Amino acid sequence: MFANFCIDLFVTAATFGNLIGSSYFLRIAPGSNLITAMVAAFQSGRDIWREKYIKDLASYLLTLPISRKIFALSRITGGVARSVIATFPGTLVISYLYGILFSPRLIEAFVIVAVFSLGIVGLSIAVSAFASTIEVFATVRSAIQLYLSFLSTIFYDVSLFPAIVQPIVETNPMTWAMQAFSALQSQGSTFYPISVLVGPSLAFALLGAVCYLWYTRL
Amino acid sequence: MSSSTIQVTDSSDLSGQSTSRLVLQMARRDIATLFRTPWIIISRSLAFIIQLFVFAYLISGLVVKFPGFFPYYAVGSVVSVVASISFIIGYDIFEEAEEGLLDYLLTLPIPRREFIIGRALGGAIRAMIYTIPMFAIVAVLENFSNPLSLLAAVLDLFLLAFGVTGLSITVAVSVRSANRFDVVLALLELAVSRASTALYPLAFMPSYVAALAPFSPVTFAADSTRAALSGSSLDILGLAGLLAFVAIFLGLGATFYFRRLEGGVYA
Repeated sequence: MFANFCIDLFVTAATFGNLIGSSYFLRIAPGSNLITAMVAAFQSGRDIWREKYIKDLASYLLTLPISRKIFALSRITGGVARSVIATFPGTLVISYLYGILFSPRLIEAFVIVAVFSLGIVGLSIAVSAFASTIEVFATVRSAIQLYLSFLSTIFYDVSLFPAIVQPIVETNPMTWAMQAFSALQSQGSTFYPISVLVGPSLAFALLGAVCYLWYTRL
Repeated sequence: MSSSTIQVTDSSDLSGQSTSRLVLQMARRDIATLFRTPWIIISRSLAFIIQLFVFAYLISGLVVKFPGFFPYYAVGSVVSVVASISFIIGYDIFEEAEEGLLDYLLTLPIPRREFIIGRALGGAIRAMIYTIPMFAIVAVLENFSNPLSLLAAVLDLFLLAFGVTGLSITVAVSVRSANRFDVVLALLELAVSRASTALYPLAFMPSYVAALAPFSPVTFAADSTRAALSGSSLDILGLAGLLAFVAIFLGLGATFYFRRLEGGVYA
């Protein structure tokens, strides 16, 4: 994951920084980390899908003496933890670039990644509950990743999009995660972007939990 | 992605078939899987369209240091897609090995050489079938109409696809752990595409990337394809690089590693 992040940041983002301007590199840098978080978060759904269809582990896991609700919650919490761990070095690199590595604001950077990952883990678990084949899972994952990556403000301002697309961009969780990182860079408050991001993330996490409960029903 | 249904001719018939026929038979099987997985075609096409008409369109407005970035990116994105799709054959072969299907395939009365060339050819043709509609969109957008130029560009793309399938198969048969295989192939795919001139010019890459990028097979294909489409000249260096890439990973690498498959264990 870290190698992936490094290629994204030090190859692609650095080259676009040279093409557009050095400030552009700093602008898109958190995007590399959030994309890594997104990929790591989607692994949770893929694992649940593999447990059922490839490894045949789902029935065993459901015999464990844990209530379904706690089990669903633990899957989501585990997915978020895994995503935060996978992006840990990347978050440190971004924090270094933004000059907050040795400041208490470093915690805010991890909170942004965790809240963003929460929504994606929920979405990936919801998709895994309904995808009967890996192709369907991969296609839906790809569509969500395209939406999060290209219809957000990772690479460009919302004003560059046609007016009809702007509401889609403005409601994209990635846009708010990027805004929260921008606030870190400009030493502004991250409270507003994070509180906006919490809404869809909790909604997606709840959706994931409900779908997982449906998926594990007897 | 791999198929569990295999069309096999009776073994007595196979033994009498020519090499080219056996190769085509293997290739046909891989091509057939393309039409059984329409979801993959949909997602890849969607990704290409968004990448071209959203990302490239918007970002080219920001790129002021390199005029004509959109046409540059458009051609490169097709090259990049060819490379990306050609890597899929490795995942197919690894999945077949995990499911035990590869053991069955190896018992077929088809010599190893024909088997490997057939798989690589099938993977390459499959990548080309995926990519031709995208290439057509770019050709129409950028007004590439010279048939010879288009043919030369398609040849470049095919050589890249053929070489990458060989590379992907080599990795699939030489890495035995599923997790390690996923990581190695994904990183390899990312590295050869990003550290290349497919999506951005060499002059703007950081020095540590610019030192490696000229040796990427995707760079050979991207430069050669652009030269062919612009009608400027034949990129001999790019073409030679692509041929060498195909020869190394298809002829030597894949054949050598294929021997390691016999009796191997996938975990």
